[in-house]
Amino acid sequence: MTSEVFAAIDVGSYEMSLKIFELSMKNGVRELDHVRHRMDIGSETYATGRISSYHVDEMIRILSEYKKIMKEYGVTHYQAYGTSAIRETKDIAIVRDLIENRTGIHIDVLSNSEQRFIDYKSIALKYDQFEEIISKPTAIADIGGGSIQISLFEKDTLVVTQNLMTGVLRLHTTMEQVHASRLKYAELVTELINSRLSVFSKMHLKDKKVENLIIIDDYVSPVLQKVGLGTEREGYATSEEYRKFFKKAYKKSDLEVAKKLNIPEENVPLFHVAGVLVKCILDVTKAENLWAPGITLCDGIAYEYAEKKNYIKSPHDFEQDIIACAQNISKRYMGSRSRRETLQKIALTIFDSTKKLHGLKDRERLLLQIATILHDCGKYISLVYLGDCSYNIIMSTEIIGLSHVERAIVANVVRFNHEKFEYYSSDCRFFDGLSREDYLTIAKLTAIIRAANGLDRTHKQKFKDVTAQLQERELVINVDTTADITLEKGLFTNRAEFFEEVFGVKPVIRQKKMLL
Amino acid sequence: MTKDKTSVKTGVNVESSKYYTNRELSWIQFNERVLSEAEDEANPLLERVKFLSISASNLDEFFMVRVASLKDMINAGYKKPDIAGMTASKQLQAVLKKLHDFTENQYAVYNDRLLPLLEENGINICDIAELGGKELDFAERYFDEVVFPVLTPMAVDTSRPFPLIRNKTLNIGALLKKKEGNDDVDFATVQVPDVLPRLLHIPGSEENKYGKYIFLENLIMHNVDKLYLNYDVIASAPYRVERNADLSIDEDEAEDLLKEIEKQIKKRQWGQAIRLEVSTGMDEKLLKLIAEKLDVEDNEIFSVNGPLDLTFLMKLYKIEGFDHLKEHGYKPPSAVPAFIGEKNIFHVISKGDVLMHHPYQTFENVVKFVEEAAVDPGVLAIKQTLYRVSGNSPIIAALAKAADNGKQVTVLVELKARFDEENNIVWAKMLEKAGCHVIYGLVGLKTHCKITLVVRKEEDGIKRYVHLATGNYNDSTAKQYTDIGIFTCAPAFGEDATAVFNMLSGYSEPLGWNKLSLAPLWLKDRIIDLIRREKEHALKNEPARIVAKMNAICHKEVITELYLASCAGVKIDLIVRGICCLKTGIKDVSENITVRSIVGNFLEHSRIFCFENGGNREIYASSADWMPRNLERRVEILFPIENDELKKKVWHILDLELRDTEKAHIMNDKGEYVKPVISEDEEKINSQKILCDEAYEEARTFNDRNTRIFIPETNPNIKA
Repeated sequence: MTSEVFAAIDVGSYEMSLKIFELSMKNGVRELDHVRHRMDIGSETYATGRISSYHVDEMIRILSEYKKIMKEYGVTHYQAYGTSAIRETKDIAIVRDLIENRTGIHIDVLSNSEQRFIDYKSIALKYDQFEEIISKPTAIADIGGGSIQISLFEKDTLVVTQNLMTGVLRLHTTMEQVHASRLKYAELVTELINSRLSVFSKMHLKDKKVENLIIIDDYVSPVLQKVGLGTEREGYATSEEYRKFFKKAYKKSDLEVAKKLNIPEENVPLFHVAGVLVKCILDVTKAENLWAPGITLCDGIAYEYAEKKNYIKSPHDFEQDIIACAQNISKRYMGSRSRRETLQKIALTIFDSTKKLHGLKDRERLLLQIATILHDCGKYISLVYLGDCSYNIIMSTEIIGLSHVERAIVANVVRFNHEKFEYYSSDCRFFDGLSREDYLTIAKLTAIIRAANGLDRTHKQKFKDVTAQLQERELVINVDTTADITLEKGLFTNRAEFFEEVFGVKPVIRQKKMLL
Repeated sequence: MTKDKTSVKTGVNVESSKYYTNRELSWIQFNERVLSEAEDEANPLLERVKFLSISASNLDEFFMVRVASLKDMINAGYKKPDIAGMTASKQLQAVLKKLHDFTENQYAVYNDRLLPLLEENGINICDIAELGGKELDFAERYFDEVVFPVLTPMAVDTSRPFPLIRNKTLNIGALLKKKEGNDDVDFATVQVPDVLPRLLHIPGSEENKYGKYIFLENLIMHNVDKLYLNYDVIASAPYRVERNADLSIDEDEAEDLLKEIEKQIKKRQWGQAIRLEVSTGMDEKLLKLIAEKLDVEDNEIFSVNGPLDLTFLMKLYKIEGFDHLKEHGYKPPSAVPAFIGEKNIFHVISKGDVLMHHPYQTFENVVKFVEEAAVDPGVLAIKQTLYRVSGNSPIIAALAKAADNGKQVTVLVELKARFDEENNIVWAKMLEKAGCHVIYGLVGLKTHCKITLVVRKEEDGIKRYVHLATGNYNDSTAKQYTDIGIFTCAPAFGEDATAVFNMLSGYSEPLGWNKLSLAPLWLKDRIIDLIRREKEHALKNEPARIVAKMNAICHKEVITELYLASCAGVKIDLIVRGICCLKTGIKDVSENITVRSIVGNFLEHSRIFCFENGGNREIYASSADWMPRNLERRVEILFPIENDELKKKVWHILDLELRDTEKAHIMNDKGEYVKPVISEDEEKINSQKILCDEAYEEARTFNDRNTRIFIPETNPNIKA
């Protein structure tokens, strides 16, 4: 099969969109169709936490039609994602089931960090421009209906990412509540945004320099894509050009703006909100250049699928971004770099040499790696309640690219590294929302990290070279060190018990004395 | 605002209503041009008969729609003046006055010019009184056996109210007096059955081999006594009534569009009477009674000297045995060279865009396009807009077949196509049954664009084939209407076509268009921008010219822009078949504008717009006229012709029509249309005929080139 047709569906806060793509080795990802249906479920769910039956009916109708369109192109695979509005719906399981039964379309719910990661991946579809831009310090502002996500890049890796609840639709709803007059509208929106942005700025920006700003949104981007603001390149503008353009647009009536910029009149108020938002972000980051690549979540979904199916290969290593992000969190909570590196090395060595035993995949390896990076973040708060504090920090910090479940797995592994292991049947609150499989993953990763931790008990990084081998009922860990490891050996048995319990194999330390 | 509309050069405010013509009056001028073809002795006799018939059916529609809408406006108290500064009542007065003159002309042509010639040529339409014994016997027997059983006479008295006289039906009214009893005069009426032919052919005899024709109403009136046995018939006369038929459906209120239109069709017969046609010399009392009951004003009564409802002439045109009285100078549709000898239509389109000019070139490739798509294993989906389809349409059959073959078929059936609703509902239901996804367009907007999209899975991925045209997907009108269409598989067009259908299905408009401009959102602005661009070129002394061909132009904003462009020095030549509210030759307003109308053997229907653009000529084709309804209340498409070869071909059409001397009428400074005057030695040009010949030649030379067998040259050094 040289090519296949793939459909991406985004059930968003104010729009349901469908994109049809043709994926092939030869041409990569080619967009065939883009269908959008405006439907404001965001206002409803943000306020009530529910989707009315009227909107559920509409969703069913539209999804059925989308299914027809998918047939028109002979779509073989599809992926449907719900974002913030769906996420914030309380009875979402029922709604999703209803929709699946009626339309045959299964909607997966994206956590914010997953969604942002996909958005961010989609920029990489325009790889050349992307690499060029992020070679300089860059911020990405991903503006959604419910919230926005600001991420910072340094030396072409992602370092910080932060979610702020100032989405376009949410801001607009708030403004309607205060009955802002048109005259004051921009001013009030600015005030609202800046109160949030200043916190972000204090925490992450400090004296960091940002040169470029990439924006992902549904209102300003299409306009920037269409209207060249002085520059020849599509979607590019200098900060100065943008400010001028936006000021001019703001003075015109909605009708004029709609006509001039070729956008639907009903979108104009949201266009203004998004415009102010971008301006505020430009102000706070002091970025000089703006780039709106004009991509959407659907592009990201297609990218992800195409990558998985090997239609495309990205030169950019996204996993590295997730790791960099975790490292940054560790840094914020004053984790020890050398310590986490040693632990990581030992844990991954054990993971790799016991693949046959645990049957886990690359993704779990990544989770283990992140767990090792964040293993001691809780000590920033308390040395006594290290496990619980670490757990809480991880659960309330966003790690871009990880789903909610994955984050919970990491947090649990870190916690159980320090605390007593709980069993699935114990009804432990830490397992809320996790499946049996997730629980087993936690158990396996915990066993590995505990064993690894046991080898570095004294935090002195005594082990330079560690290898591990399975020998019958034993996992032989060869350590190559001249240091005295009496303490490690003595205490290891304790730690190894859990490993044996999980894998049925007993880890033993064998010291090879280096010959001098 | 006014300042914008004042010419920079001349200082004249071109928005003043005195520079515009009322659209109804302009339409009447158009129908006069149709009638002039009936007068034109250069046309074969039956063609002249046909033109007279067309002028009559045009007039019927005009009454039902336009006159009716004027009356609606008056009834509703609508006071706003039109483009020419006339209020509705003023327009109605002027229109009715013109129409009385026009009708008189029609009957003058019928009585003085055509009837004698018809008789000369063996078609003798006569009064029943002129029949001889045997002939009369035949007629009487026909009446007794065929006509009488289907007649339903209705009397009116205190217990029986005046019956509903249905729209456009022919009736015979009579004043009756009881044979016995009091002196009261009663009224009765009977409909001339429309199930029977209007003309009765009395077979010929030895001395008169062609026979004679009499009118059905004539026969009934002759036998009127048989209908009212207990009465004496004091007077009887035929009459015909026309009613308000313009559908103004409130779509916001209609829950189900389909049902609403079905309801409206039934209602149509009940509309207000707007014209009463009677014969001259009708009994005064009878006329007064009918007029009163139908509630028509004096100026709405048309007394004509001859048979009512001249549309029967179309039937006369079709009678057998008189082929020699018809036009044969126009060749039948020729093959399109690109498709000659090619089996797979998609391969042809893949080689490059194909332009077709109907009816000079055949429409069959368009039908074939859908038919092939229906069975092609690679085709995944077919999408098409249908506005007016022919009876027994092969396109409909192909679409149904495609759905049956498992293709995804989406058909937009426009239910609001005037007078075709009934027909279209039937199609829509049939297609739905066949498994097609039928959509009905957007609330409040008629879908008038003509576009077909075929999605095909090929070796190197999904490919889209698009057909865009200026005329409907109707294989029978395609033989009569001049239209152009293109086939293309250029991705930019494919993407736009997909977006068009997404929009028509109710999804959000696309973020941008590649090639197409659509009404009602962007098209008007696009046209105005194009006109303004020419103006800018003219002001910079760069080549600036507009040649535009369409069916009607009455959009004030667009005309104003044309005036301004003309003032700036843009040379503008318009080829407008029908309504034209623009006036030519006004000093400091429209000196650089010419308007001509071509009314000929085929109905001019294509819309082609050419902009010189400083020497970088751009040509567009469209489904839209420059009328408010097209630019603001319909879904229409404007598409560019980009391929240089095709551009040349389209330009040739415009150029030839601008030089037409035979079928063109040119608007003079007084707003009258006159035939061009040419000197003896000047070439006479009938553009439609030439286009026919050219298409024929093109197909023939292509055929010759491709069927001849070439013998390969052999190496001279090798001796056999």
